[in-house]
Formats: sequence, C-alpha cells, structure tokens
Amino acid sequence: MSNVVMDIDNLHARIGAKEILKGLNLQLEEGKVHAIMGPNGAGKSTLSKAITGHYDIEVTDGEIRYKGQNIVDWEPEDRALEGIFLSFQNPVEIPGVNNAYFLRTAVNAKRKHQGLEELNAAEFLREMKALVQELGMKPEMINRSLNEGFSGGEKKRNEILQMMMLQPDLIILDEIDSGLDIDALRAVSEGINKMKDGKRSFLVITHYSRILDYIEPDYIHVLKDGKIIKTAGPELVAELEEKGYGAIEEA
Amino acid sequence: MRPALLGEMTPETLMEELGAAPTKALAARRLARLGMPTRKSEAYRYFDIEPLMAHDWEIFRNEASAEITETEGQIVITDGRVTALPKGVEVQVGCSDAIDLDGVHFDPLYYLSHLMSDEVISIRFKNDAKVTLVHRFTQPGKLLAYRTAIYLDANTHVQIDERFEGEQACGALILSGSDAFISRDATLTLIRDETLKEGDYLPVFSHRIKVDSQALCRLHSFDFGAGSGLQLIRAELHEQARIDADHLLYATDHARRGTVSQIVHIGQSSASNQRAKNILAEKARGIFDALIKVEHSGKYTKAHQNSKAILLNDGAYMASKPQLEIYIDDLEASHGSTTGQLDVAQLFYLRSRGIAKEEARKMLILAFANELIDALEDEMMRQRLHASFETAYWGMTNVTCMETCHGCEDLAAESAAK
Repeated sequence: MSNVVMDIDNLHARIGAKEILKGLNLQLEEGKVHAIMGPNGAGKSTLSKAITGHYDIEVTDGEIRYKGQNIVDWEPEDRALEGIFLSFQNPVEIPGVNNAYFLRTAVNAKRKHQGLEELNAAEFLREMKALVQELGMKPEMINRSLNEGFSGGEKKRNEILQMMMLQPDLIILDEIDSGLDIDALRAVSEGINKMKDGKRSFLVITHYSRILDYIEPDYIHVLKDGKIIKTAGPELVAELEEKGYGAIEEA
Repeated sequence: MRPALLGEMTPETLMEELGAAPTKALAARRLARLGMPTRKSEAYRYFDIEPLMAHDWEIFRNEASAEITETEGQIVITDGRVTALPKGVEVQVGCSDAIDLDGVHFDPLYYLSHLMSDEVISIRFKNDAKVTLVHRFTQPGKLLAYRTAIYLDANTHVQIDERFEGEQACGALILSGSDAFISRDATLTLIRDETLKEGDYLPVFSHRIKVDSQALCRLHSFDFGAGSGLQLIRAELHEQARIDADHLLYATDHARRGTVSQIVHIGQSSASNQRAKNILAEKARGIFDALIKVEHSGKYTKAHQNSKAILLNDGAYMASKPQLEIYIDDLEASHGSTTGQLDVAQLFYLRSRGIAKEEARKMLILAFANELIDALEDEMMRQRLHASFETAYWGMTNVTCMETCHGCEDLAAESAAK
C-alpha cells in the first residue's frame, strides 16, 4: 500500500480485564474506503473506540500511527482536531446542549486548531442549514438539544451532518446502517459519497453488506477474535454473503 | 440596642427586648412552640445554624425616613425601607395580618423575622404588572430583619424579578422573606436571582405562599456562588390551585446553600411540580429538603417532585430529602432524587468532536442548568439568567443569542439573501 494514513501495528486492547483486540494489524490507505466486517463480539467497535481514545479502552500493547505519529496516548479531542472522526453506532443524547451551538463550538475549535478565523453565527448557520436540507433533516433539529428525542435515523443523519461540517481526514463509520430505513440509508450514503475526494479515507464497520451497495469499498477486512484474519478486494463481500464468517480462516 | 444572642432568647424576652407590638403575640407563641433553631431542628439539619444563633448580633433598626423616588418598574427596599417605587403599585408600610391567617409555618425563623420586623412592607397589585424588586443591604456585620407581603388581587397576572444587592453588607445576617397571597385566578411569577460571594451577607429567607382557588404560582429561584444561605418556603394550595417551583443551585467553596420547603395541598384538584437542580463544587453542600403534603381535603391532587445533583469534586455534598406525606388515595404523586457526576459518555462524545475537556465540561454543566433557565417564559429574563449562571460558574459570560433564541436563523437568512 502506498500513502498509508493510519498504520495499526500489533494492537492489544482490553475493556476491564477482558482482552478484545489481540495483536491487530491494519493499514488504511489515503483516499480509500476500507470496510471491516466480522461477527458479533469480534472487536469491531472496540477497534473504533481504540482509534478515537474512548475511556473504556485500555491499549496494552502496539501502536496506532496516524499521519506518522503514534496517537495511543493522545486525548480524544486532539485526535479529532487532527482529523479523526467517529460516527457513533449509538450517539448519546445530551439534553440542554443546543445542536447548533455544539456543532459551531466543534467547527470553530477545529478552525482555531488549523489557524483559521472562527465562523460567526450567521456564516455557520447558513452552511449548516444548507446541509440539513441536503440530508433531508427537519430544520427544527438545528435548535433542538443534541440527539435528544431523535429517532435512530435522525441520529445517524445528525452524525453525517457533523461529519460534513467538520471535514475530517479519516472517517470511521460504526454500524452507520443500523436502524436506517431505505430512504435514510440512501440519504446517509449520498452524504458519505460526497465526502470522497481521493484524499479522505473511510473505515466502514459493518455486520452486513447492505451499506456496501451504497458505499463502494476498496478493501474488505475480516475481523475475528480480535485480529484481522483476511484482507481482500470488494469481491470478498459476495463470498462472505455466501459462506458466512465461519468459513473464513486466518491466512 | 444591646447585642442579641438569639440562641439564648425566649420569645417573651424577645418581645420585651424588641419592644414588639402586642399584635405579634401570635408570632411569639408559635416561635415558642417551635423553639429556636438548633442543629437538631429538622429545617436546619443540613445548614450550619448554630454559629448564627451563638453570635452576638447588633440588630440594625433603620430609623431613617427615606425619600421615595419614582422609577420605571422597580421597587427598591434598602435595609428594610422602601426607597423607590414604580407608578401604579400600591405599597403600604405597617402592620400586616400575614401571620394571623390560617397557615402554620414550619420554620421558627419565619416567626422570629416577623417578631423582629418593625413593619411589614405590603405590596398590592390590583392590575397586571411586571416589576423588579431590589433588596439592597448596606450594613456590614449586623442583623437586619424585615418582611414583605405581596398581595395579588383576583385575575391579576404579575411577574416579579427579585434581585439582591449587598456588596457592602459583608458578614450581615438577613432574616427576611415574603408572605405572598395570590387571589383567585391570579398568576404570580416570582423569579429570584441571588449570587453570593464568600463573606457576603448571609440570607435566611422564609416565605409563605398562599395560592387561592384556580390561582397559579411560578417560582424560579437561582442561587449561585460561594456564600451560604437558605430559603424556607411553605406553600398552601387551595382548590385547583397550582405551583411550579424550580430551584437551580450552583454552590462552590464552603457554601451551605439550598431550599427547605413544604408544599401543602389543601384543596381538591390542586397541582404542584417542584424541580431542583444542584451543581456543587469544591466543599460546597447543597440542601434540598422538601416535603409535599396532601391533606384529607386534597382529593385528585397532582404532585411531582424531583431533585438532581451533580458533584464536581470529591468534597462536594448534596443533602437531598424529597418527601411525600399523603392522607388520601385519589391522587397522582411522584418524587425522586439523583446525585452523580458528569456523564462520561456525554463528555467523550463532545471531546470526540474536538471540543477540549474543560469546554466540554462547561457545556454539560450549562446544559444541566439550562433546563430550569429555559423554563422562564420571559426571553430577556432567560438571557439574563444564562449570563448570571455563566458568570457565577465561569467568571465570565459568553452568552450569545444562539444559545437562547432563534434570532440567528433570521440573521443567517438575511445574510444568505445578500
């Protein structure tokens, strides 16, 4: 692989006393869509949490090199400011935090980090409203509390809205298709596809191949028992659909 | 006047010492029955009352005949005397029948403040009004006692924005409070905003609110800062009356601060909803000791009560005691209390979007407080309270219209149109 944006080397991570990732190796290429597939409990979400610095995860060994730097000890906000974005499987509800205020704070934190001038309220809202419309979200969601009372589909669209506003370099989509109806899946996928620019990288974590009909992957990685056991091209999806994860053995 | 050692005085000696009018004999009898507060007194169990009772207080008697100036919508009471009044509000200063009515207060200091007050400032609203009531204290280290009584005539709708100024009165003890009488079909919205610094005056405000048939009381109290203070409230609800009481507390340093209340459902189909949110930092102690009592006559009552507290430091403490005392079956009632820390999942979510940890903590604390601030119907009051809370918590305010209104959308639309 050339132009590796993230290189995960021999990653061991645990939640509490239980080791979940057991020497995971993975390279993510710049501008490519990588899909991670695997059975329940394989460690897919743990991987996304380890990359973003989640408080539940303790990395016990190995490295996560992002743009050449080992980020294992970085704070979550520093990883985000450097361009890592996780679209959560179950975004948390935060009553009392206005959606627009939250997102403007995040956007301006990133702009400040990049040495850019902060957006004023009018500029920010103009941009946000355009994207809200594009994603088929209700305009009133701008002023609602963050994710509070949102349906599953609304939460996922709100994640994509944040992604589009923050313009990250590495996007991790954790089960982005779960709980979405066909229309929502299409809207979310279109949003993701618009973000493809040949430079930005994607890590799509999923159980099912359905989302991969909308977001065409360049690589498929099979994660099983805390390790990547197979990497191949998109053709692997059909094989997995046919034979299941049980038939895939470690190379 | 000789210094007064409150803890050693009996109602009789107080009557004599203070030269209290014979009309206050009822207050003296009720105080005698309750006894002077000690740390074992139910109402003061979590508040450090003993040093106050053991202190030799110089009682301040405001003898000055203050000139009353006319204002636009502002009533000012300086050291217990009315010094400014708006047009159209009737104020009488003199004896009041406030405590001669049927209610019995649980707080001995309610009666003590009545006993010690020379006069009761009675404010009557005959028409709808929106006023600011400023209590100004100027005497450091002294004990000041005075009472106000607020009367709303039937069908009136009044909003009182109650504020406190006492920078000069450091170390003073203020025994005060209001007796509010809300007549049939009237609405009183009472917004109390009091930020105290360490060493400021110490308020013990004891209130009684009588909500007549089909009347409504909205009480919003905002207690912020490092100073100690206690508000004690007894509310009586008559037929189809309602009270919505919100208490937002942010206490820090070594503050002892909070609310002790009794809401009594007397009439049928009355309703109450009491919500407390408490944010406690450093070694502060928050108090929410609240009883809802439903009398035999209070059929079809709806009573709800909830207290939530966030402890920001290991040394912070919340004394939360929600209680229901119910004598009938036909009612709807609930109560609950939670105390915890900031939600780590919420904190991580914000940080995962690039928001620094301290900023994320601030956002969550503001969010916790916002529910009660946003309950204010008055937009200007909401903005002021948002700013007041931010200033107390953060030392500065960064409130923009984006947090409190929808005006930015219009601004954005205008900008887009250009």
